[in-house]
Amino acid sequence: MTVSLVVVSHSAKLAEGVSELAGQMAHGKVAIAAAGGTAEGELGTSVERILEALRQVASPDGTLILLDLGSAVMAAEMAVEQFTQLQDQRVTISPAPLVEGAIVAAVESSIGNTLEEVADAANNAMLLPKLQS
Amino acid sequence: MPVVEHAVVITNTIGLHARPAALLVQEAARFQARIQVRSGEKTANARSLVGVLKLGAGLGTTLVFQAEGDDAAEAVQALIALVERKFDEE
Amino acid sequence: MPITTEDTLNWLRQLALVLHEQRTYLTELDSAIGDADHGINMDRGFKAVSEKLQTQTETDIGSLLKLVGTTLVSTVGGASGPLYGTAFLRAGLATAGKRELYAADYVALLEAALEGIKARGKAQPGEKTMLDALTPALAAAREAAEANLDLVEITRRASDAAEAGVQATIPLIATKGRASYLGERSAGHQDPGATSSWLILKTLADTYAARSSQT
Repeated sequence: MTVSLVVVSHSAKLAEGVSELAGQMAHGKVAIAAAGGTAEGELGTSVERILEALRQVASPDGTLILLDLGSAVMAAEMAVEQFTQLQDQRVTISPAPLVEGAIVAAVESSIGNTLEEVADAANNAMLLPKLQS
Repeated sequence: MPVVEHAVVITNTIGLHARPAALLVQEAARFQARIQVRSGEKTANARSLVGVLKLGAGLGTTLVFQAEGDDAAEAVQALIALVERKFDEE
Repeated sequence: MPITTEDTLNWLRQLALVLHEQRTYLTELDSAIGDADHGINMDRGFKAVSEKLQTQTETDIGSLLKLVGTTLVSTVGGASGPLYGTAFLRAGLATAGKRELYAADYVALLEAALEGIKARGKAQPGEKTMLDALTPALAAAREAAEANLDLVEITRRASDAAEAGVQATIPLIATKGRASYLGERSAGHQDPGATSSWLILKTLADTYAARSSQT
């Protein structure tokens, strides 16, 4: 079992795209669920969608939630609160940038790291230089 | 504990960016040995994606793999081979 | 005379109408400093609340408020869903099992809602949010309750304090929420979340006063 990921975005397409990319980097070894957009299929966040994603992939080894903007944090927190009431599993919300965080988390999870190690690595994704100096 | 060290030059066009770096990390994770990868002045734990990416190693850069442990030789050999295969990119 | 289950239902039904009427106004406020959907969101949320309430006549006030909370969470996206959802859920807990609310209960309801919003949104007064309407409202309600004013007056003062709070958001620079991305450009605009908070309290005061004057 590996640490699983939930990718939260205001956009369903973005969440799916990031999940796909992260999944490719992890060579399918990591359970990743996308939770983007509202229940009506519009831009926005949905506590229910995030909860559904957690139900799909939450792992006894822990789950890391990546999100795009700060306004998704409240929805993610509410989903985690509801989820952890029923399942005694650890879920951490990451402050990492969505894309870089998801990719780093996926790779670090794929090599069997713990939730703390995966979360820590994702946090450091902020430091990655995009352009070569 | 055996310590093995070997250098290799990066020959794939995009260098050690995300996907090749991930492959490197995942390959390194297959072994017991403690593995470091050096590029110029910078050293990284070969099992850390962020560390490897921060090396910023591009085309033409020399990477030095240093491994310590029972399977150190195997580990270094596998990593060298990965780089020489251009990370199966081209 | 206390606020009853019937009063609560009247309030919430009227609130759905008010938020529907004011949806363009709220959305306009939100286009200036947000993502232009606050009015649409609140309208949708309370429309759903209205529908759910149709079958709820015999229950206690706490259960009604909790139902509002859970409905808002699942129908209102963005920040308002979690914030108002939590506010109503907490208000529901504070009034659990009650079919009549007296002054102390009304104050407790406001307190719980406010605490819920603070815990969920992690904002403080002065950041140009709904707290800037609700904090003065609570203070006014407490003061009025301590002075033993009747509940109609208490709810009216809370509403008026909220309105003043809304006006006071205009010069503020947002340091929370989507508006905070605008920095100084958020100053000079009335906060949409504070505005909808005020409308919620005002509608309660209005419907309760109207019913009280009938008897």
